[in-house]
Amino acid sequence: MGITSEQHSSASSIDSSSDPSAAAATSSSSFCAPIQSNNSARFDLSTDLRLGLSISSSYYNDLFTTPTTTTREQPLSWPPIRSILRSAHLEKALDHKHASLFIKIYMEGIPIGRKLNLFAQDGYDSLITTIAHMFPTTILCPGADRVHSDKYHVLTYEDKEGDWMMVGDVPWEMFLNNVKRLKITRADRC
Amino acid sequence: MDFSLPTEPMNHKRKNPDPSPDSDESTTQLSSPFPDEVLERVLSLLNSRKDRNSVSLVCKDWYDAERWSRTHVFIGNCYSVSPEILTRRFPNIRSVTLKGKPRFSDFDLVPPKWGAYVHSWLLVFATKYHFLEELRLKRMTVSDENLKLLALSFPNFKALSLLSCDGFSTDGLASITTHCKNLTELDIQENDIDDKSGKWLSCFPENFMSLEVLNFANLNSDVNFEALERLVSRCKSLKVLKVNENMTLEQLHRLLVLAPHLRELGTGSLLQELTPRQHSELKSAFNNCKNLNMLSGFYEVTSIFLPVLYPACTSLTFLNLSYAALRSDELSNLLVHCPLLQRLWVLDSVEDEGLEAVGSNCPLLEELRVFPASDPFEDEILHGVTEAGFLAVSYGCKKLHYVLYFCRQMTNAAVATIVQNCPDFTHFRLCIMNPRQPDYQTNEPMDEAFGAVVKTCTKLRRLAVSGLLTDLTFEYIGKYANNLETLSVAFAGSSDRGMECVLKGCPKLRKLEIRDCPFGNAALLSSFRKYESMRSLWMSGCKVTMDGCRLLAQEMPRLNVEVIRECGNDGFQADKLYVYRSVAGPRKDAPSFVLTL
Repeated sequence: MGITSEQHSSASSIDSSSDPSAAAATSSSSFCAPIQSNNSARFDLSTDLRLGLSISSSYYNDLFTTPTTTTREQPLSWPPIRSILRSAHLEKALDHKHASLFIKIYMEGIPIGRKLNLFAQDGYDSLITTIAHMFPTTILCPGADRVHSDKYHVLTYEDKEGDWMMVGDVPWEMFLNNVKRLKITRADRC
Repeated sequence: MDFSLPTEPMNHKRKNPDPSPDSDESTTQLSSPFPDEVLERVLSLLNSRKDRNSVSLVCKDWYDAERWSRTHVFIGNCYSVSPEILTRRFPNIRSVTLKGKPRFSDFDLVPPKWGAYVHSWLLVFATKYHFLEELRLKRMTVSDENLKLLALSFPNFKALSLLSCDGFSTDGLASITTHCKNLTELDIQENDIDDKSGKWLSCFPENFMSLEVLNFANLNSDVNFEALERLVSRCKSLKVLKVNENMTLEQLHRLLVLAPHLRELGTGSLLQELTPRQHSELKSAFNNCKNLNMLSGFYEVTSIFLPVLYPACTSLTFLNLSYAALRSDELSNLLVHCPLLQRLWVLDSVEDEGLEAVGSNCPLLEELRVFPASDPFEDEILHGVTEAGFLAVSYGCKKLHYVLYFCRQMTNAAVATIVQNCPDFTHFRLCIMNPRQPDYQTNEPMDEAFGAVVKTCTKLRRLAVSGLLTDLTFEYIGKYANNLETLSVAFAGSSDRGMECVLKGCPKLRKLEIRDCPFGNAALLSSFRKYESMRSLWMSGCKVTMDGCRLLAQEMPRLNVEVIRECGNDGFQADKLYVYRSVAGPRKDAPSFVLTL
């Protein structure tokens, strides 16, 4: 499951001189190459909301005509409803659209998370690309040298057994079957 | 105090059976003019926890009589007492209810492997409570080994209820069904378990007949239907049967024919096409269920199926539709047949119109819960409910006293009218799903809404607040909510003052759970003695720091002050704080991420 750097260099700007892990991108081990998000200078949530989520424009207009002091972000574990009541079969019953698998994704240090439709990704490549548009981060691949800095992150996921695992070790389909949520954690903490 | 356990514990002789003048309390005149056994006999008729606690405080004789006669014990926080202390005080317990994790663990705010293990309790019970009959656990961690120990240690074991527990698999259930010869109740609800297979059901012996309650609605593996059929036909006292969603209508029909005396039924999936013959057969089966007062299940129900239920609805008092995404017309048509309904749980797919039908058809309604059918942050198709629905119910259902309402908008005026219509609220849990959302008509905070609730509803025991709220809400709560026992707060308040007002007021407060509010150390430490009169305090995403928590721990040695440390935490903020009173001292089984201060 290798990801070559060519696929990513068109999607985002990698500054090879300042990015020490660019060299690791050409290695054939595991999956992810370092990706420099275009939004690293400024984290504009409302822009990302517009770009990242597929919402109909009418709903979006409703959002912004409602006079609220905050933009409509979904906090972690909210609304306070047991997950059993939001279980898969209920979502199936209501799903008038094509099948989707929305999971939550958080970046360490940022309390507000995002949601990501894994079924809309083709594989690990497109997953990383999508994430790059959502968060200001550089995601290292697990084979790279540990960089002891808070600038770099790795992508992890919580599996069905409640354990936190590195993304990319298992085939994509198996990953889809097991993933409950994603977390971007600091490279020097793992 | 030494005592031995004979075979019949209730005839047990105590150390001093005869009341002699020496045993009288010299300081009081409340010496028993009759033998202790009589007092015990009288007290054994007392069931209320509160009464028993009051009795135990009268004098030493009454304390002793109460502890010998108590057969049921309720422990709201498993870490507030140890099994050793419990068994020492109450030697004759037959029934135990234990609650473990803080309630916010239901919403994934407590990391896994936090604790609340039933293991240490079972080990002690196995030696001290040989005659244990009932065990009810909520938010505890239970393993398959624990269930096996349970099944093998208590020959008279009758009732097992597991709600929101985790850590076990269906193998553990198999131990119970195999070994508990006197089982009357097996209630497995909303647990996070490893559902390996439905074989546990087939482990009931062929001569086993005592089952009265069977709830496996939230288990997904298929059970052997023939085994279930035989079980139901053998157990003539079966009152409650809640099957999982894999049961077909055909199978449901066969079960109903075998058990028309059911009081509570949980259906399976109701999606199949019915031939006219099947339709009338099922309708007739439901018609024969004269004792049915609760219906639940309704996974994936279609309109065509609902009329089949109508004959069974005449005596219904509780209808749980929280898995069925019904439309307003479907609900309306159903409710016409449920005049005696007292409790209704629905999804907000029924919208305000559906709730209008509730108001029109259910004059005896006491409890309403409206859950969101889908994630409001994602789904643009469903509209949910608004203040209009709640208002409609309040006009039609004057006996309403329990509401849990997830909605997308609310106004102060609507809530004020609602509580005027229904002043007897005991439980008012309003969740406006967008955090910090103001009154959508006036754009003001929702302070006056909750002010109206606490001023008007003098019997209020439980309150959950939401929407844009300033400290004024909490001033009202502290000042007026004199019977309030549980308060849940999220994304609310302007400053420490809010929490301070609550702690200084609310004389009966027992549980306070707060998330993502601007309350810090000043608030936490403002009335720290209060926490000893409460079961617990939870604060997450607030502004308390480790130093503040340490100060609290120092001042109040009889409280357990625990901080859950998350990955990436800088060690200054106390992101998740859990404070509770305990006679058992600090936890001995805390994982590395729980710091006891």
